[in-house]
Amino acid sequence: MNLLRQSLSKLAVIWALAIVFLGLTFTTDNFFSVMNLRNILDQQAFILIIAGFATIVIISGGFDVSLGAIYILSPIVALKVENSTGSLLYMILAGAAVGIAAGIVNGLIIAYGNINSFITTLATSFILFGLAYILSDGSILSISDIETRSFVTKKIFGITSATWMALVFLIISWILLERTRFGRSVFAVGGNIEAARLSGIRVARLQIIAFTLGGFGAGLAGALNSIRTTSAQASDDFSVIFAVIAAIVVGGTSIAGGSGAIWRSIAGVFFIAVLVNGFNLNGIDPVYQRIIQGLVILLAVGADSIRSKRNT
Amino acid sequence: MKIEVKEISKRFGATLALDSVSLTFESGEIHTLVGENGAGKSTLGKIIAGVYQKDSGTILIDGQVIEYASTYEALQRGITIIAQELSLVPSRSVIENVFLGIEDTAGPFVARKKLRERFTKLVASSGIDINPDTPVGALRNGDQQKVEILRALARNSTTIVMDEPTARLSADETSALKRLIRDLKAKGHTIIFVSHFLNDVLEISDKISIMRDGRLVRTSLPSEENHNTLVEAMTGAGFGKAFPEKSASSQSGTAVLKVNNLTAGNRFKNISFEIKSGEILGIAGLVGSGRTELVRSIFGVDRFDSGSVEYLGKTITRFSPAQSINYGIGFLPESRKDQGIIPARSLSDNISLPHLRKLTRFGWINKSAERGLVNKFFALCGIKAASPQVHISTLSGGNQQKALFARSLAGSPKLFIADEPTRGVDVGSKRAIYDLLTAQAAAGMAILVVSSELDEVVGLTHRVLVMREGQIVKELAGKSVTENEVLEAAFSGKVS
Repeated sequence: MNLLRQSLSKLAVIWALAIVFLGLTFTTDNFFSVMNLRNILDQQAFILIIAGFATIVIISGGFDVSLGAIYILSPIVALKVENSTGSLLYMILAGAAVGIAAGIVNGLIIAYGNINSFITTLATSFILFGLAYILSDGSILSISDIETRSFVTKKIFGITSATWMALVFLIISWILLERTRFGRSVFAVGGNIEAARLSGIRVARLQIIAFTLGGFGAGLAGALNSIRTTSAQASDDFSVIFAVIAAIVVGGTSIAGGSGAIWRSIAGVFFIAVLVNGFNLNGIDPVYQRIIQGLVILLAVGADSIRSKRNT
Repeated sequence: MKIEVKEISKRFGATLALDSVSLTFESGEIHTLVGENGAGKSTLGKIIAGVYQKDSGTILIDGQVIEYASTYEALQRGITIIAQELSLVPSRSVIENVFLGIEDTAGPFVARKKLRERFTKLVASSGIDINPDTPVGALRNGDQQKVEILRALARNSTTIVMDEPTARLSADETSALKRLIRDLKAKGHTIIFVSHFLNDVLEISDKISIMRDGRLVRTSLPSEENHNTLVEAMTGAGFGKAFPEKSASSQSGTAVLKVNNLTAGNRFKNISFEIKSGEILGIAGLVGSGRTELVRSIFGVDRFDSGSVEYLGKTITRFSPAQSINYGIGFLPESRKDQGIIPARSLSDNISLPHLRKLTRFGWINKSAERGLVNKFFALCGIKAASPQVHISTLSGGNQQKALFARSLAGSPKLFIADEPTRGVDVGSKRAIYDLLTAQAAAGMAILVVSSELDEVVGLTHRVLVMREGQIVKELAGKSVTENEVLEAAFSGKVS
């Protein structure tokens, strides 16, 4: 009984995912088909690439809202590089470099300026969006070689290459978090920053690395996404950041830092994805979809907060 | 107001915190609840004040059965709790905190003038004088506690539950609080005093109820008890002396740490001392005398302005906790909760944290080496837990503290700096910690102990430095050191 309750609360997101999954399988005709499930998987590739490292940032006690702006700026720089060099490699490197640079700046300000990470990244978001408009001159940038699209859309064992890349990213972030000294330090800094400092952890360096990783993920995802869509502009949709944070939180990683896991974020991403897919298959108006999504996030976080209150 | 509790039980998860406890608190008495951590004394206090709800049993107030489900309802009956962790709004002024939620209003506005009058009356009737406009965060711990008491009085509380009120106070603040408690009693208030400072308990109580493992052992008068009988009843065993035999201080040992004229702004000034291997050196003084600031600077947490530190004959040039741990200096911080434990992680993770560098290759943690190190110090420090894998937050305060000792000792330090090594620790764990420290010193470790507990300073250390206003005002050594000498120097030692 106790064990059951424990697993229920610890694995809440898995149970929720399973219930929605089974519910849709039995009530919706087209849900449980190889094609639909593959589509769901492939659509999450770019969110997953961001979510792995973003989870590390949140566990370390940080919060990075600038990932959305990085996701917009990176493809603009990347496409400019691609347009002038014609090289896909340079394009991807440029996109990643934008993310890394933004992450380092965020990290330096947060670690040495001692400014709250939410405020810091909110401010740098404005700057990054501004840079995106300046660099693109407000116009749409397009990729010069449409053929390169296959780099992210090619199917390998029936699944797109972008999804495979996401898998690699998730494995790397999982290993970093669970198997390395860096990961332990992330949990320690997020759990009790003073204790971590007194235990000899170089807190500033760790925060800079965490935000750099976060930026790197968003920069790369932005560049890869623009290969898929073949174009980018400064006014593109940056709501991917909301999807990422929602998934991390719904998965059960603590927004206060110190606890969480990569698998939780993966489960959170798919929970929301399956839910949205179900709405679409059942023809629910997208406007209502958003409202329901918002309620689901509140429910997940609320249940978590009640649970942790009861445990103390 | 007479409060009777009858056969009260309370369960938290797997632990029965209170097991059918019956007790009577007479009107206008100072009734103390003592016991080790986990004995149920705080739980009982919190149930009486409505913080927790009992699982079974009854509460009678003046002979009537009363049910209440919250602190608010308890307050309506005139019962308030002053918790261990104060619940004030630090950025707001004293007067705002005192009347928070019960402000006089004129329409939607706060009637400031009326509040002032009420505050003046409150000060006059309670004898607690404190500037109403100071932000609470700027006050000392003892004064913050006074604000809590004023707040309780402002709500017409007749019964005040005080949970470990002296735990965070310096010696002078403690005696001021004791005076205040006696005044409150004289004015007819009932005080339920939860504490494990036995000297305070014996001095102040009208009645003492001793608890162990969720049960009431006995209620007695202070004249019938002494330090030893209390400890015996609390631990359930004959306990012997509170401190182990001191090892012979090695006069010939090599100097491990040498501090020369260390100065940091107005925090401490011209501090010079040395500590040899095998020696336990105590630093005593009032809270705010610069003790903690000094050891934090030595360990490399905070900067200092001038002076130098030699470790094993070499002058340290770069100061940081990481560097110090590398050198082989262990550090136990003052506050277990704020600076010590990582609550959401396992005991094992908590213990190995500073030593991961030695346990990793290319960043990859060698789990079996980690397990070996953790198990060794888990056993050495006598931590009582099912396994090193349990969350540290599930352990009692004493065991969490032992885990922090394991964390420091796992680095095999040559110098161990322990700031308040037994703060908030039950009597049984205290003795275990003293044994541990004494054994480590006998094996050659140099140990620097900062402590506010005079018996600890006198009973444990070979030599004592007393600090006052950021300076060392006295050095005491030998078997003849007494608590009075230390206290005298701490209060009135000559500052240059």
